[in-house]
Amino acid sequence: MTEIKHHAYLFDATRCIDCRACMVACSVENNIAMDKTRIWVAGIGIKGEYPNLERGSMVYHCMHCEHPDCMSACPVGAYTKAEDGPVIYNPEVCIGCRYCMNACPFGVPHFDYDKGIIDGAFIDKCTFCPQRIYNGQEPACVQTCPTDALEYGERDELIVKARARIAAHPDRYIDHIYGEFENGGTSYLILSHIPFNELGLPDLPAEPISEVSEKVMEMTIPFALSWGAVLSGVAAGVHLYNKNKEEKTAAEENTEATK
Amino acid sequence: MTQTISRRDFLKLGATSAGVLALGQMLPPKVAQAARDAGHLNAAGDGYITSMCEMCVWRCGLVAKIQDGRVVKLDGNPEHPHSRGKLCPRGQSGLMNTYDPDRVLTPLIRVGKRGEGLFRKASWDEALDMVAVNMLKIKEQYGPEAMIFSSTHNLSQVQFENLLYAFGSPNYGTQRSLCFNAMITAFLLTYGVEEPSRNYDNVEFILMVGRNMMEAISTSETGELARAIDRGAKLVYLDPRYTKTASKADEWIPIRPGTDAAFLLAMINVIVMNELADCDFVKQYVIGCDGIRDEMSRYTPEWAEKITGVPAADIDRIAREYAAAEHNALAHPGWRTSNFINSFQTERAIATLNALSGNVLTPGGCLSTEVAAEGAGLGAPSQPPYPRVSALRLDGAPWKYPLVPLKLGVFQELRNAVLTGDPYQAHGWFISRQNPIQSLPDRSKTLEAFGKMDFIATVDIIMNDTAWYSDVVLPEASYLERYDPLLPVGNKAFIRQPVVEPQGEAKSALWIYKQLGERLGLGDFFQYEDEEDYIRQQLEPLGVSLEEVKEKGYAEMPESEHDGEITFNTPSGKIEVYSETLKNAGFSPWPTWEEPPFPTADEFYLLTGKVAQHTQFGTQNNQLLHKYSDEPRLWMNAKIAAKLGIEDGDWVEITSPVGKAHSLLLATEAIRPDCVYLTPGYGHISKGLKTAFGVGASDSALHVTYTDPISGGQALSQTFVTVKKA
Amino acid sequence: MKLNLTVQPRFRLNFRPLVWVLLALMGIAFVIAMIRFANGIGPVTNLSNAYPWGFWISFDLFTGVAIGSGAFVMAAIVYIFELKEFQPLLRPSVLTGFLGYIMVVVALLVDLGHPERIWYMMIHTNHTSVLLEIGICVMSYLTVLAIEFAPVIFEGLKWEKWAHLLHKLIMPFVILGVVLSTLHQSSLGSLLLIEPTKLFPLWWTPILPIEFFISAISIGMGMIILESSLSSLYFKRGLELHLLEKLGRAVPVALGIYLLVKFVEIFIAGDAHFLFTSGLMSLLFWTEILVGVIIPMALFSSKRIRQSANGILISAIILLVGMILNRFNVSWFAVQHADPITYLPTFMGNNIHYWPSLSEVLVSVGIFSAGILVFGMAAKYLPLFDNEHPQHAAGD
Repeated sequence: MTEIKHHAYLFDATRCIDCRACMVACSVENNIAMDKTRIWVAGIGIKGEYPNLERGSMVYHCMHCEHPDCMSACPVGAYTKAEDGPVIYNPEVCIGCRYCMNACPFGVPHFDYDKGIIDGAFIDKCTFCPQRIYNGQEPACVQTCPTDALEYGERDELIVKARARIAAHPDRYIDHIYGEFENGGTSYLILSHIPFNELGLPDLPAEPISEVSEKVMEMTIPFALSWGAVLSGVAAGVHLYNKNKEEKTAAEENTEATK
Repeated sequence: MTQTISRRDFLKLGATSAGVLALGQMLPPKVAQAARDAGHLNAAGDGYITSMCEMCVWRCGLVAKIQDGRVVKLDGNPEHPHSRGKLCPRGQSGLMNTYDPDRVLTPLIRVGKRGEGLFRKASWDEALDMVAVNMLKIKEQYGPEAMIFSSTHNLSQVQFENLLYAFGSPNYGTQRSLCFNAMITAFLLTYGVEEPSRNYDNVEFILMVGRNMMEAISTSETGELARAIDRGAKLVYLDPRYTKTASKADEWIPIRPGTDAAFLLAMINVIVMNELADCDFVKQYVIGCDGIRDEMSRYTPEWAEKITGVPAADIDRIAREYAAAEHNALAHPGWRTSNFINSFQTERAIATLNALSGNVLTPGGCLSTEVAAEGAGLGAPSQPPYPRVSALRLDGAPWKYPLVPLKLGVFQELRNAVLTGDPYQAHGWFISRQNPIQSLPDRSKTLEAFGKMDFIATVDIIMNDTAWYSDVVLPEASYLERYDPLLPVGNKAFIRQPVVEPQGEAKSALWIYKQLGERLGLGDFFQYEDEEDYIRQQLEPLGVSLEEVKEKGYAEMPESEHDGEITFNTPSGKIEVYSETLKNAGFSPWPTWEEPPFPTADEFYLLTGKVAQHTQFGTQNNQLLHKYSDEPRLWMNAKIAAKLGIEDGDWVEITSPVGKAHSLLLATEAIRPDCVYLTPGYGHISKGLKTAFGVGASDSALHVTYTDPISGGQALSQTFVTVKKA
Repeated sequence: MKLNLTVQPRFRLNFRPLVWVLLALMGIAFVIAMIRFANGIGPVTNLSNAYPWGFWISFDLFTGVAIGSGAFVMAAIVYIFELKEFQPLLRPSVLTGFLGYIMVVVALLVDLGHPERIWYMMIHTNHTSVLLEIGICVMSYLTVLAIEFAPVIFEGLKWEKWAHLLHKLIMPFVILGVVLSTLHQSSLGSLLLIEPTKLFPLWWTPILPIEFFISAISIGMGMIILESSLSSLYFKRGLELHLLEKLGRAVPVALGIYLLVKFVEIFIAGDAHFLFTSGLMSLLFWTEILVGVIIPMALFSSKRIRQSANGILISAIILLVGMILNRFNVSWFAVQHADPITYLPTFMGNNIHYWPSLSEVLVSVGIFSAGILVFGMAAKYLPLFDNEHPQHAAGD
């Protein structure tokens, strides 16, 4: 099998039957505690009025964004984006500030609210099953999906596949691959028959939302230096002006005194 | 008889114990030395072993990942036709079934009253001796027929039946009449095969009557159906509830419960009256092609509309679409078809529709009667002849129900006969891998029947409700811990082998039955040394070694000879749409309309149906499944709920003619206004199920017992209930 | 004038009742914090995966930092603009700032998952992170404030030489302090830049940092007025009303600029249609604008009010309440984390609605009480309000 250069998932909401085999598989594969999960069901469920009904739900986990907001936001750099796709969390440096949870537009990182400082409270999220994908296996969720709603492979190829599927059944799908460009692109791509925000996905532009924040941060040091210079200038100027005025006043007084 | 109880042995299972152990905290069992020897596991105890799932009857092949002598992951076996590399949520949770903290790991003998849950640990010898002594006592006093043997079909069933037949009792209780008697009997009578196989490769039009395939998951078939729909096959799905299968269907028909047969008969009417089936071709193989027009002429779509609520135009159109797909149309036989007494006729109509499409007459078609007989091609231990059984079966087969195959039986009638004592009183009950207290309709009656027993022994892996009420509980090893006889699927015989050492003192059913058999003086009937010897005997005709099979996961079986002729195992050798057998038994020879009962204005049909995360009554204690299950609810149409003044999330009381239950309400658009649906499988009364106890309500506490006189099937949706805010 | 100072305070046990109350609140907060360290944040708060930041961040971080803004405003006025008449207001505001920022750090030690790793921000640095910048700035600024306040302590300890030395070197630290303050006051707003889908459009803007800085200036002025007034009331000393009155003249200017920037931005961004049609969001927005901007603008514009001790105090309080509401809006009330769509498994508890638990609030109250207590002790035992020390003049 050829090396995958950019690991990605493709989820097809029309195939998903919400059986949750993927969720059980993930829990087992990654030895997740009973009260935690890395993958969940989101969506509007059943919509419409009897008997004209439609159903929409989606399983999702970390989107493994191309421009991860968690990575941008984390003060200690606990997140990295691997060259071949997965976004990796490193608990060794995490300080538990939970800024990543704010930053992620998908609400992915989950926190150990029930652990004190002895046990250690960390973030938990999908790891892309490295123990599987680097051993020629599919991630646990993908491998077990009975209806192939979850697929895995090379990101570019999955996008081609998704486009072909939309083209083959234009009446079935919304003509859009969520994650192709959203937030600068994600590695969890989604096809759907209902509007994506009904699956629980936010509307995101193609520009990564971390851009604004990062641009402002880039300006920090230049701004600090400039502002420091301005303030110093003002202080010096004011000081000189005041000194001048003092000397003038002192000189005037002297002249007055000598008169 | 009284037993002295040593304080040390006293095990109070009803009391709260010290919390639930998380998955990673179980003590690791010893490494299966054999697996090491066979090279499956390395010296550290890590590796992969192939086996088969048992979380439901589909029995997907699996590959178990072992680390330090513990199962850490289950994946589907890509080479097994039932999994094709995938496992459903229950299959994935299987190791939690093995590591469930509520496992019964030693034989238990009751010390308190039945139902108190007070047991003491005992050795296998003591427990087995006790069971044998009691069974022999009953045999001596009342005759072997006073002993009931009941078990839900599983891979060791052949040896369970061996025990039953050798003991000399005719009273065999299986779950089948609660499930698919209607389907099996109808297809046996029509096609001569219990369950035709389905092939979705080329299907274009699928008609499903119930068979919520996307929630009652049969991994490979669910996948194939999904692929067929993906490819563009049209699915028309009849169900009073908007299930997940309904959401994948092109057309969801919210048909009135109990009226499926009317819909189908009208479809047949449209097809035969308009000569849409190639009857000349079909005629060669079908008995009844001549008289069918006259017979079906009265079942017009207009007639069906009045009964089903489905517009006549739709029925007409669907019939034509079905017919247009010719042999690429599939009317799915269904599975659990125990809905109404007329479900048998529904199945007969389905069988007829398939016959008219010619699909079953097409080699490799979407329906096929080419089904391998169970166990064909495999060896078996020799068997001395069984004793003659003179007593009548308590369940009425065949003396009351002439057409019910003895292998299926009529389980609910067996239970009823225990209560009435007619034609004679049963005194003992031996149960293996079954939970009749939860599965039989009208739970209070089942508990009453249990009360009449002198002796009850149960084989189970966990303190299920029936075990809770037993006198002796014998711990079976879970499916990941044991051997079972080989199971042929297609042309391969697959093995179930232990992937880890059995925990505690749990043992395989093969071992338990033999041990019990020997103590009953029936040792001659159990001609195998141990599980491995049994399987070796099975493998003999194939000339394959056990080691090879353990390594590969299966043994190749010789291809069965096909001469290309399509024959049917019926008296006439043809498809019997018109059945002489039925006529002779006093029933309609044609598929016919039998009017079901209808609820009154303030009653609801009480529906049941599967959820993807559970298997009937057996998995609610599995913590992994519990984690990802929706909480059990009573579904009611939102507008009706509003009218009754009940809101989503309220507690409601459900009353049926035989019982009451309480549940949280789900006000939803996804169900007919005249129906309610209760999430099945909950309401366990065994306190030994720490995760499941106290969760949800039991529908068997509400179900009225009905029996279809033809197939012996139950009618689970024929119970009508009233609902009010609790 | 001789310094009237007791260097070795004699401890008396008959503390005033207020002190007992403050001590009790501190004790309660300490116990809760211990529970938090043992059992996790969950048992003592209502924080969840849907609401990772709540009362602690809004009150202790956002409001705490805003409250400390008096220090840099005062330092700029006295040292950069050399308006030496404001000297008497300097020291208390520096102390307020110092204590405010200490409170922020203490609160963070409770809120962080790994408080023992708080110093990781200095060795593991991700330069794109706004929170890192805040962390480093706050830690550096604490040092600057310590240096700015050290002279008071030195004088109290009668280490005149050190006090004098520090005064000579104060200027670069003042500049540094103003720069650092500008950075982190604005960065608190920048924290929300990465949440455009979560912070309601009436607040989210790429110029949030600028808006925060401008409002921080007005908050600083309000804090100076508040702290001076309360000190004079409690310690029964004279109020420098004439200084406060002058300070108050700048408030409408700062608020006016803020108002202009805010509304121009809303209109340019095309978010004007949210102003009156957004239910609770509109209500919160207009409350914040009215109470925090428009009403204070009007009040501070009135000379009569500025010249009244009560008037200026009440105006400052109104300003601060409105501005604190702004901080709460931006960090909590106007932020929606979880979409109101079904989530399973249900134990995930994606509560759309978050409200702090009692223990959660008590921790913040305890920390705040500690700040008040320390301020009070400093006022009593250190030359906090001594305003005629000739060595305060900078740049000699």
